[in-house]
Amino acid sequence: MKSHPRRLVILAAILGLAVIGTTSCHKKAVPPPATPPPPAVPSAPTGSLTAEPSTIQSGQSATLTWTSENATDLELEPSLGKVQPQGSTTVSPQQSTTYTLTLKGPGGENSYEARVTVAGVPPAPAAEATPPVTEQDLFEQSVQDAYFDFNRANIRPDARAALTHDAHFFEAHPSINFTIEGHCDDRGTEEYNLGLGERRAEAAKRFLANLGVSASRITTISYGKDRPFCTEQTPACWQENRRDHFVFGSETH
Amino acid sequence: MLVKKNWVNWIVFISVGVSLSARPGYSQGWFKTGINLGQTAVRIAVPDFPPQSANQQLVSLTQTFNKVLWDDLAFSGILEMVSKSYYPLTTPQTPQQVNFNAWSSAPVSAQMLVLGSTAAINNQMVVTAYLQDVRSPGSPPALAKRYVADLNQGSARAIAHHLANDIIKLLGGGIPGINLTKIAFVSNRTGYPEIWMMDYDGHNQHPITNYHSLCTTPRWSPDDEKLAFTSYASGNPEIYIYSLLTNHRLPFPTYRGLNTTPAWSPDGKKIAFCSSMGGDPEIYVSHADGADLKQLTFAPKVNISPVWNPKTGKEIAFVSDRSGTPQIYIMSSDGTNLRRLITYGGDANGPSWSPNGLFIAFSWGEVGTGAYDIYVINISTGQIIQLTHGEGRNTHPSWAPDGRHIVFVSTRNGGHRQIWTMLANGHGARQLTFKGGNWNPNWSN
Repeated sequence: MKSHPRRLVILAAILGLAVIGTTSCHKKAVPPPATPPPPAVPSAPTGSLTAEPSTIQSGQSATLTWTSENATDLELEPSLGKVQPQGSTTVSPQQSTTYTLTLKGPGGENSYEARVTVAGVPPAPAAEATPPVTEQDLFEQSVQDAYFDFNRANIRPDARAALTHDAHFFEAHPSINFTIEGHCDDRGTEEYNLGLGERRAEAAKRFLANLGVSASRITTISYGKDRPFCTEQTPACWQENRRDHFVFGSETH
Repeated sequence: MLVKKNWVNWIVFISVGVSLSARPGYSQGWFKTGINLGQTAVRIAVPDFPPQSANQQLVSLTQTFNKVLWDDLAFSGILEMVSKSYYPLTTPQTPQQVNFNAWSSAPVSAQMLVLGSTAAINNQMVVTAYLQDVRSPGSPPALAKRYVADLNQGSARAIAHHLANDIIKLLGGGIPGINLTKIAFVSNRTGYPEIWMMDYDGHNQHPITNYHSLCTTPRWSPDDEKLAFTSYASGNPEIYIYSLLTNHRLPFPTYRGLNTTPAWSPDGKKIAFCSSMGGDPEIYVSHADGADLKQLTFAPKVNISPVWNPKTGKEIAFVSDRSGTPQIYIMSSDGTNLRRLITYGGDANGPSWSPNGLFIAFSWGEVGTGAYDIYVINISTGQIIQLTHGEGRNTHPSWAPDGRHIVFVSTRNGGHRQIWTMLANGHGARQLTFKGGNWNPNWSN
């Protein structure tokens, strides 16, 4: 026999073809070809994963806390690996990170996510013991985010107040460049929310420009629903995520 | 009349409101035929192929082969699998050994029989396979073929997929099987959303990107040699074109603002995409290298998620919220002849154009509920069929090249988004991903 390593080789060809009569004018009910597998008898593993606080400054830490039921094998990624059925640990990610808890048990698999958002870029290491208040510190103390209605990118009254406040700050600190991140809540779809987040960021940029903030200082970026501040399915959490978030500096090249 | 076992449930949108109500009794012939599931399923017996030696490796690979072959055929949508418990005690390995009467009469009552054997020869796995019509005694086999591959699990799976493809093509009206196709998707299981790929049945999941940033919206080129997607690796969302042959990026221009949801024209020469280079997210089209850029939409709202009519290349469907909520529109590929496709309120998202050009699958939900289900619309008649029914949130359908299957995202098994496949009539849903969150699937060609 010939041998053809590493390749799937068809050695013989089709010898014949039977005609399969499949038409029938009076159709009987045909059962569905496959039904979904029945639920496994053991209960599926369930649990939770939370990050507290969910937003930290660079260099600070957050606590991840998790619980589980019906799980024999737990993995917490990135970089934490196998963990006990319940517990908590401290993390200090350098950049915003989504932690995923994967549960495996006799009843199947499940996974949960919690995101730790790292705000701002790390300040330059200070030589003195008591660093002076930087413009970034002032930015993070003063600048307010703007919030939006569902499916909307128009500036509503509370956002108008926040952005007017922000415009005064940017007027007083003309050397600060900054980024407006557009975010959306979880109810819309991934792709549409990318567009909606972009319109939210652009809407705030236009608003600030109309108040005299040079557009050249402003970078916009949409994260859609991909970098939420809050991951619960509640109206309060959805509102948290429908926002323009202001970040010191320019994120893009 | 199909009364008890409806393949699909009919849904009719009531006037201009957002309420949906089931209304049975319509003929569904157009839909079953359109998704290539119109014929009566062929009743088929698929006994396990016996290994011809006790070689432990061969025995293990044969188990894999038998399972994959069964699963492929069972998920084809065109075959009625006869339970193995009905089979005669002796399993034939060649057509000469087949007892036609035993396989064609009750309780097996098969029309077709798949038979054969496996062997390890010269360090290779050799599978000899036949497809026999058992209701025509003495007829030559419809298929007689030998498959040879390396002795490993991946090759055993590949042989089973090849054989299943050959059987499905013969029994399914000449439409090639999808058992060797792939699904690209986004997964955040490593902590970052990256582009991943897997076989159509969920095996062999592996990452394509490793940017530690945000990657999303993968789309296969028509020749399956490239992926276009969105990457935030530079800090700004840009269109990346990635060659799967060389594992390198191909050139595509960078534009300011949001650049996302690239979509290949069916000839592979053009890419339609969403860009906010002019301020608002609009649909643009250019050659695949970026040349000859043209703006197609001019509505200062969100315009995103373009898909080409894969049959003609002359139309593009996309999502726009110019009416106040996201809705699906169709235009000619030069931007003219714009019309709204779904006219019933709610949120309509994620269009995927069927390979035969007749249908668009999409997700629809009442505004603000986040409760989406998958629907299919007949573009020429406006008839709509609902495929999923409120089990979790169901979004982002993508057609398989056979037009018989759809991959989509569902939260029905817990909170996380996961990737599922189903027949295009809504039956046979199965979960493919389990680790982390997984979304934006796109089926290869």
